[in-house]
Amino acid sequence: MMASMPAAEVSPSRRRLPAGALRRRQLAASAWVYLAFLAVATIMAGTFVLAFIASLKVDPLERPFRIYFDQLNPAAWVAAARLGREGAGDALWGGLAPGANVHFSVTYAAPADARIVEPRAEIPRRRPGSGIAAALMRHYAADYASIALRSSSSATKQARDKRGIRQGWQARTFVYEITYRSDRHNGPWIERTPVNLTAPTSQTLIDSPISPSRSERRGRLLSWDNITPGALGLIFNNYRRVISETADLQTGKSLIGSWLGNSLAIATGRLVLTLVVASLAGYALARLKFRGSRLLFAAALFSMTIPAQVTFASNYLIFRDLSLLNTPWSVIVVFVASANVLLMKQFFEGFPREIEEAAIVDGANRFQVFCKIVLPNAKPALLVNAILAFQGAWNDFFWPLVLITSPPEALTIQVGLLSLRRSFGGVQGDWGLVLAGAFISIVPVVILFVLFQRHIVSTEFAKGTT
Amino acid sequence: MLFFAYAIVRTAYYSFTDFDLFKAPSFVGMSNYTALVSDELFLLALRNTIGFSLIVTTTQTVLALGLAVLVNHAVRARGLIRTVFYLPSIMSSAAMTLIFLWLFQRNGFMTAIASVVLAYRQHILLFLVGMAALQGALVLNARRSYEGISIFDPFFLLVAAVGALALAASCALAGLLSVFDNNLLISWLNTQRHFLFMPVTLWSVALMNVFTTVPTLMLLFLAGLQSIPSSLYDAAEVDGANAFQRFRHITVPALRPVTFAVVTMGVIGTLQMFDQVAILGDAAPLASRVTLAYYVYENAFPAGASSRIGLASAAALVLGILTIAAVYVQKSVGVKEKGE
Repeated sequence: MMASMPAAEVSPSRRRLPAGALRRRQLAASAWVYLAFLAVATIMAGTFVLAFIASLKVDPLERPFRIYFDQLNPAAWVAAARLGREGAGDALWGGLAPGANVHFSVTYAAPADARIVEPRAEIPRRRPGSGIAAALMRHYAADYASIALRSSSSATKQARDKRGIRQGWQARTFVYEITYRSDRHNGPWIERTPVNLTAPTSQTLIDSPISPSRSERRGRLLSWDNITPGALGLIFNNYRRVISETADLQTGKSLIGSWLGNSLAIATGRLVLTLVVASLAGYALARLKFRGSRLLFAAALFSMTIPAQVTFASNYLIFRDLSLLNTPWSVIVVFVASANVLLMKQFFEGFPREIEEAAIVDGANRFQVFCKIVLPNAKPALLVNAILAFQGAWNDFFWPLVLITSPPEALTIQVGLLSLRRSFGGVQGDWGLVLAGAFISIVPVVILFVLFQRHIVSTEFAKGTT
Repeated sequence: MLFFAYAIVRTAYYSFTDFDLFKAPSFVGMSNYTALVSDELFLLALRNTIGFSLIVTTTQTVLALGLAVLVNHAVRARGLIRTVFYLPSIMSSAAMTLIFLWLFQRNGFMTAIASVVLAYRQHILLFLVGMAALQGALVLNARRSYEGISIFDPFFLLVAAVGALALAASCALAGLLSVFDNNLLISWLNTQRHFLFMPVTLWSVALMNVFTTVPTLMLLFLAGLQSIPSSLYDAAEVDGANAFQRFRHITVPALRPVTFAVVTMGVIGTLQMFDQVAILGDAAPLASRVTLAYYVYENAFPAGASSRIGLASAAALVLGILTIAAVYVQKSVGVKEKGE
């Protein structure tokens, strides 16, 4: 039908391509396919990898964006583990505890003609983060620790100056000792040990076990947020902060923990309820002939197209009148299980009728048939529905936002992320914390995905084709 | 189900009343609707919603179809595809939005990409022009002696790409191209600027939305593609149909039911887009991000004012009717095409 150009019209001087060239073209075509595929996959996965890397960084908005920094550098992990062990005997999470004796060495370099002076070292009374964290901070390392220069040594090293000419530079290494003051030996464990070093701009820091967190006054003042982080404390600094710095002021309890708990409770509750409703309604729609069953089916389809915003005012009032507002129950109960009902209906329709009829002949009633014969055989469909319901409830944002507004620890994790963005992602620009929160919030869904990959994908097919 | 029907009826009732959640609703007739029509923000929300829906639904459908056709060739890596492509769509919109908010910060990653592209614009331009010229020359040369070589011949395209890359690299090494210095700070979100008919903020949200939905939709298309018998393609190829004709006359008609499902899901999803806008919150001006769904919420729970449930309900009904109308129009158009 589409063959339009008979070969005869082509001038005799032009030949068809030889077989070898055709083969080359096919190879090239598949090369393009794979290239394009690779590009798309890079964009898809790359975004997450990039965001995860950024979530480890001290400042995710740093420009230019580096993808090689302390948190991804094994040498820094080893150093952080040593410092953590010296600080509190904990190589993983670090800290500063009585008996601490931490050695921290820094190396400055300067051109041969300049003199390297000893930097002024202090342990500042610095509060971590912003807002709530500052209010919750009880103990400062500044009150319990002292810092003193232990030794210093000089060396010369070859380095390139600004014009790219190799020159002998002099370098000096200063070893500081940070000790927990002996007159305070009953003191508390302190989470972080900040250090400030002030030195003239003529000399530059070229080596330290872990990089400074900030550099101010054109490099004169270098500050470390924590020189006793421990390996995990260094890598997952933002994750630790998001847990410890989002706390309730009254109780001091971590908010993100209770948000995760609430989400888990709501998702589990909705899972159970969905399974009950979907299997009962699905079976009724598939098998029982009753007046209005077609209407009910149409209503189920219809309800899938109606946005939640249309019905929310009424539902809000109902929950208010039942005084269920701000409780997990409201969010569990308010859901439209149409998609799940339709999935179950499809499954039940495919279930062989003969088996049920045989059971009825044997004297079982409808309900017994349903419980004893149909349900045990519906495990795959129930599993799919359970996954779908859990994922949907966990990711739900609108209903929890409307129905649960206070107190702060009653929120779900998704709404909690919004408040996290508000308190840290605004003017403070503390995006490390916000990104860490986002990654914590997806852990359950990712676990679900890894465990039930096959089912989730096939579920989406079913959802799309009904 | 009754719950649901009751809620709709109640919403319809509230839309004719003045109600602030506390005192009893009082009947005010059509005044909510007239208030809506004269509310600038509502009209803006309506325009934003429709524009957003059109853009996102079209883009995601086309992209998903393209990707599915692409992936359908690369049969071997299917398990990997599933994992890589599927991740964005299982994630919650809240977490996704936060990641994208970070990407779209004023001094964030998107700005960095834009500034790299701008800095190397001569290199990129030279590469593209060089590639087009090389490809044209190669194809024209080959056409003199062979028949049936398409403009996009993959082999020549590969050669042209390598050639253009070498050209650009050698020009850069020779110092013929200049790198432009720039220190961009682009407001992708916190801005009142418009691009075409939609605020820049919503374009950014649209990009994120496409990113998250394309994988799921692609898997739907992929399932459809695999159910098309390959004998159809073989027959068409024997008849002399080229790749595009085969796509146009076999793939597209066979995928029509899937396309209907995909477009319907897209329309429903985009018309009620709410999470992203809500999480944006005060990070962007209200006028640049307001959509109908958000307008409804904003009126029901306004910050520092009493609820306007009547107005919110009226807007919600408009949203509901718009959704149904869009699905219906889409369906009737789809049916007509089927009868062709």
